[in-house]
Amino acid sequence: MDRALRSRLERRFGERLLSPVVQRHDETEIRVAAADVVDTVRALHDEPDLHFILLADLAGVDTGTHMQVVYHLWSERTADWLRVVADGLDREAPRCPSVTFLWKGAEWMEREAYDMFGIVFEGNRDVRRIYLPAAYTSFPLRKDFHLADDASRSPGMGVRPMEETLPPRDATPATNIRRAQAG
Amino acid sequence: MTTQTHGPHPSLDDPSISVEDVVRESIVDAVPVARTEREAEFYTLRDGELLLNMGPQHPSTHGVLRIVLKLDGERVVDIDPVLGYLHRGVEKLCENADWHQAICYTDPLEYVASLFCEWAPVVAFEKLADVTVPRRAEYIRVLTGELNRISSHALYMGWFALDLGGLTPILWSFIERDEIVEMLAAITGQKLLFNYFRIGGVNGDISHEFMSRLGDWMSRAGAQIEANQGLLNENEILVRRARGMGVLDRETALRMAVTGPNIRASGVPFDIRRAHPYSVYPELEFDVPTRQEGDSLARYLLRGDEIKQSLRIIDQVLHEMPDGPVMATLPRLIRPRPGRAWAAVEGPRGMYGTYAISDGTDQPFRMRIHDPSFVHLQLVSLLTPGNLIADTMAIMASLDPVMGGVDK
Amino acid sequence: MSIAVVTWQRLNLLGRILAIVVPILLALGLVTIGVAYVAGPYAVGFLADNVPLLRFVAAIGAVLLLTIPTAFIVIYLELKVIARMNLRVGPDRVGPFGTAMSVVHGLKFLSKEDFAPTGVDLRVFTLAPVVVFGGSVMTFLVIPFAPGLFGLDMNVGMLYLFAMSGLTVVGLLMAGWSSFNKYSLLGGLRSAAQMVSYEIPLTLALVGVVLLAGTMSLNQLVLAQSGSIADWYVWRQPLALIIFVIAGIAEANRSPFDLTEADQEIVAGFATEYSGMRFGFFFFAEYVNVFVVSALIVTFFFGGWTAPFDWPFPVVISGIDPLAWGVGSLIALLLVPVVGTLVLAAPFWLSSRISTLQALVIGFILFNVVAVGLLLGWAFVSLDWVTGLFWFFAKSYVFVFFFVWLRGTLPRVRIDQLMGFAWKWLLPAALVNIFVTAAVIVIVNS
Repeated sequence: MDRALRSRLERRFGERLLSPVVQRHDETEIRVAAADVVDTVRALHDEPDLHFILLADLAGVDTGTHMQVVYHLWSERTADWLRVVADGLDREAPRCPSVTFLWKGAEWMEREAYDMFGIVFEGNRDVRRIYLPAAYTSFPLRKDFHLADDASRSPGMGVRPMEETLPPRDATPATNIRRAQAG
Repeated sequence: MTTQTHGPHPSLDDPSISVEDVVRESIVDAVPVARTEREAEFYTLRDGELLLNMGPQHPSTHGVLRIVLKLDGERVVDIDPVLGYLHRGVEKLCENADWHQAICYTDPLEYVASLFCEWAPVVAFEKLADVTVPRRAEYIRVLTGELNRISSHALYMGWFALDLGGLTPILWSFIERDEIVEMLAAITGQKLLFNYFRIGGVNGDISHEFMSRLGDWMSRAGAQIEANQGLLNENEILVRRARGMGVLDRETALRMAVTGPNIRASGVPFDIRRAHPYSVYPELEFDVPTRQEGDSLARYLLRGDEIKQSLRIIDQVLHEMPDGPVMATLPRLIRPRPGRAWAAVEGPRGMYGTYAISDGTDQPFRMRIHDPSFVHLQLVSLLTPGNLIADTMAIMASLDPVMGGVDK
Repeated sequence: MSIAVVTWQRLNLLGRILAIVVPILLALGLVTIGVAYVAGPYAVGFLADNVPLLRFVAAIGAVLLLTIPTAFIVIYLELKVIARMNLRVGPDRVGPFGTAMSVVHGLKFLSKEDFAPTGVDLRVFTLAPVVVFGGSVMTFLVIPFAPGLFGLDMNVGMLYLFAMSGLTVVGLLMAGWSSFNKYSLLGGLRSAAQMVSYEIPLTLALVGVVLLAGTMSLNQLVLAQSGSIADWYVWRQPLALIIFVIAGIAEANRSPFDLTEADQEIVAGFATEYSGMRFGFFFFAEYVNVFVVSALIVTFFFGGWTAPFDWPFPVVISGIDPLAWGVGSLIALLLVPVVGTLVLAAPFWLSSRISTLQALVIGFILFNVVAVGLLLGWAFVSLDWVTGLFWFFAKSYVFVFFFVWLRGTLPRVRIDQLMGFAWKWLLPAALVNIFVTAAVIVIVNS
């Protein structure tokens, strides 16, 4: 955990952060609104004391209540991974600004997030499905997309494992959306 | 390629249109309706250009990649990779498996060096569950991982030559791969998808057979690999076809989020083993080889340098490996407390990452798998335009994508 | 029920077949004899008047037949030698050491469906393999295999050769164009560009040889090199040899210049849409071409069928001329096999417990081996064309091996490197070679 990074981030983005900086193990996490993503990552990338030059990953997340876009960044100035969470995207029509102006390599990762979650990245010139056929209509990694075979769910979910033929007494209906307690 | 996918072609009912006409029409005009700016640009043909569909069944597309080439004669004007032919929805599957089972799903992503796609989720889950891994297990992970890296690089070097039209090196490169795979099979029981790493350690200690095979191989590995590379490295045709081809400069490499040997061949010494150390790598001595050219040849030769460093690491690990347990004590069903973790490891192709979210149940709430092949395949459309069809293959081979990881 | 029906029903299958075939054969034989009796004198007269025509037809037939074993041997060599270089075993199931593998390949091609995809230009599509195969087979016609053993002795043999190898381009272009496939088209166009470019250095490389020999007839060329190893043109035209070998590989579409069928780039090039025997023709033509190029290298630079040193053969062994023995030769022909079989069978019959019949079978096989060996030895010693064939094939297969070796070793060049090499290096080098040769000849003669 890099305490210095934490204070630096708080100083720099104080008013923009949606929640306090979280640090655990070797990761530092900040949350910003989707509208602030462009300014935040540009500052993180350009400012010499931050200098997060490498985009390690871009992921979409469906928390069950809203969508997130999660960026993992690396800088030689710190020993931590920096996680930037663009929080609070509308589940019905998720939109987020693209970071392809900074990391062109994010283009496909954003396409993947669009393919899996339906998050539209504004500024990405190629937001189309990347894995699934163009005519496909749903977004499989959303939490309301259930696998056809509920035998694949584990006993922990209260749904029958593959061996049992009878439904368990306390089976949860498959239409329930699993919501993140993690947020 | 049109959005109309169901039912027969509408004109098949019309007796005045022959089957040949329909086939001809569907082949010649198979241009999709543009949905994005990029797609519109790509599928608009200027005079003299033609679209060539390559794959998903093509001898050199490394699995089931499909690429659409826009050609002007032999020269590639633009290139549009089309993915998804190997997509299995691993991330969704992982959300429906428990934490231990999820590791098995990640295994087949990278079938050439499968230990590394186990490694990243394993580290991420350990962070989530606050598990401390025994030191011996960490050493074993490094040992097997480096062996797997060598086998992957050795295969890559043969593969590169194969995509340049050389028949022999690929089979020679299987010498190394075969010996290492046999070795790993002695402790993991499998030859391709090892499924060896567990949350909290590894599945079983290294065996006597493994050690004897390893010792036997280590005594001649250096010379053997040198000999295999001697077959190629100074081959005039290979050098002439790879030098100056697909040059990826430092800034572009960073902009394209490239990692692994591909970015090191462009002069950026980014190696997660050093840049963000994990496991016992901080205690081991090794260099991060870099090359400045950034072309196909540099990417190819860099793998050779990395093999030497891996041998060095293995040597140290064998001398320093402590005794002790190889597995932390953990319940069969773990329920990490809610939280998020990201872990990345340095694989033979670049950074393998896992972002896992726990909601306190026995299944991942979200599991994101980052595969370097996916990112690197984007480079094809950046590096190949302006070159010839043959160079497309050479450049793609030098980037070393594995389709299992690209398509997830 | 007549006796014929009863007899017919009592015959087994073989008997029935024989009962049908034997009378037919008898009848045909009688008819043949009758026709020969009536028309024979005229036919003989006609043939005697047209010996060149007869020779031509016979040569074509022989050449067509010769291509099949040639292709088989080259294919087998390629499979086996490359396998060894790749640390593989190669074919080892069919026949001893897998030698029948290429025959099985051929049968496989024959038994496949004759398939033409939708959209192809069927006439051109069908004709293309024939043109390619024809082009490579026709080159055989002027190659002197041994003294007196050649199809045609043309005084413009060399021009004929280049004309025929030019025909291959037409075939490949036809295949690429008619296949209705972009890969085929690219392959066909590549082959056209490549072969047209390499034809020029290939031809110019030989001008030096022609200047030296003063003839374009391949027979005369070989005779001009006869003597010893020092008389071969390889010493006087080393540059031409290098150019010719490189251009020859490119002409034969062999690795590292096999761009027309680069499977990593354009799948199988012009042959992508072909299957079955149509593909078989391309396949055969490729391997026949390998042999042809090797044979040409040997003919032009390594003395053709001439021996590399002062070879004592052929010698006439007096006293073993069987024709001089009269009736004695007939008796020998009757007695020697029987006696030989018995003599060779005796040790086996005496020394081990095998039955008499088995011993006789072993003896008979051994006798055949010995007899064939002796016959070949005699032919080699006393017939100059057998000696010539031996040297010709020995030298040719060295180069066949060389081509296979290249294929097992080298990656493929790129199309622009290939073209650049032909026009920027080989062509000037060939021109320099011509000027230097001509200058030297003028200086030496004056």
